[in-house]
Amino acid sequence: MFLSLTTLIFSAPDLIISTMINESKNVVALCINLIAIYAVWMGILEIVDKTGISEKLAKFLYKPIRKIFRIDDKNQIKYIALNLSANFLGLGNAATPSGIKAIKSMENNLKKTKFAILMLIVVNSTSIQLLPTTAIGLLASAGSNNPSSIIIPTLIATTLSTVFGVFVLLIYDKFKKSKNE
Amino acid sequence: MSKYLIPVLLILLIVYGSMKKVNIYQSFCSGAKNSINLVYNVFPYICAIMLCVALFRLSGLSSLLVKMLSPLFSLLGIPTEVSELVLLRPFTGSGSVSILENIISKYGADNYISRCACCILSSSETVFYVSAVYFADTKIKNITPAIIIALIGNIVGAIASCLLCRII
Repeated sequence: MFLSLTTLIFSAPDLIISTMINESKNVVALCINLIAIYAVWMGILEIVDKTGISEKLAKFLYKPIRKIFRIDDKNQIKYIALNLSANFLGLGNAATPSGIKAIKSMENNLKKTKFAILMLIVVNSTSIQLLPTTAIGLLASAGSNNPSSIIIPTLIATTLSTVFGVFVLLIYDKFKKSKNE
Repeated sequence: MSKYLIPVLLILLIVYGSMKKVNIYQSFCSGAKNSINLVYNVFPYICAIMLCVALFRLSGLSSLLVKMLSPLFSLLGIPTEVSELVLLRPFTGSGSVSILENIISKYGADNYISRCACCILSSSETVFYVSAVYFADTKIKNITPAIIIALIGNIVGAIASCLLCRII
């Protein structure tokens, strides 16, 4: 931020404020979009919650999540289960509200949940989507002969990135623990 | 196929909910009500990050960084043409989609570069945006390790994408 500003003072001082305000306008537009998208998904998620499906999902995923995230609180596992399932379906925007709820439910017990929070961020930000719909759409509309040819490489690449991220996190955690001892 | 998946799941959800005597309308409304609050809390953080990115691009530092890093990237097997995408992907989702659009229209839809760029976009995530949103309203401060690890993961994904697009 500081570097960009100092460079801009010399190159384009008159553009600084107008760019910032323009970008802020874009963010307001983005946020209005987000209100709409989250309203739909949070409404649907509430129904999922009330029907007890999320409890069932959590029960189904209880063991793997407890092992990978190292927590055993039922409520936290429920939100993480919802978050992961939405991510798999490629519904990033549906995953966000449950991810935030998961983090909020964990923040009061940081000692126990620190690892789980880091893991949740790593998994969420290395992308675990099954179908690259945006890219396929773009390729198809540009007249590609075989837009779905990118599915397999993408799937392998995204699995690799997530697995690698989790792996590095585990090493980091070990390193930190041995430092504390 | 995939366009039927979500609607069918929704119908099943409503049928199942009615069987369980859940008030569908009330539940939807009480969930949807929270969305404004969520975005309200997240807005300042998204705004701050996007402003930084905009200034970074305007100042020309971003293209300078791309130029400086592209030898390193080509060493890792990432073509120079997509290195801007790899660099900006962690910051902005819509920005990287528009970079991808440019790449596709420049090199053609069946070109190696375009397919590579598509793989990179889909196998990575807007790390900074995700962390800003997730941590907007919490007391948790130290998330730098998670961000660094996620960035490493994304780079690995990008390298793998370039390699796999060559083979497959």
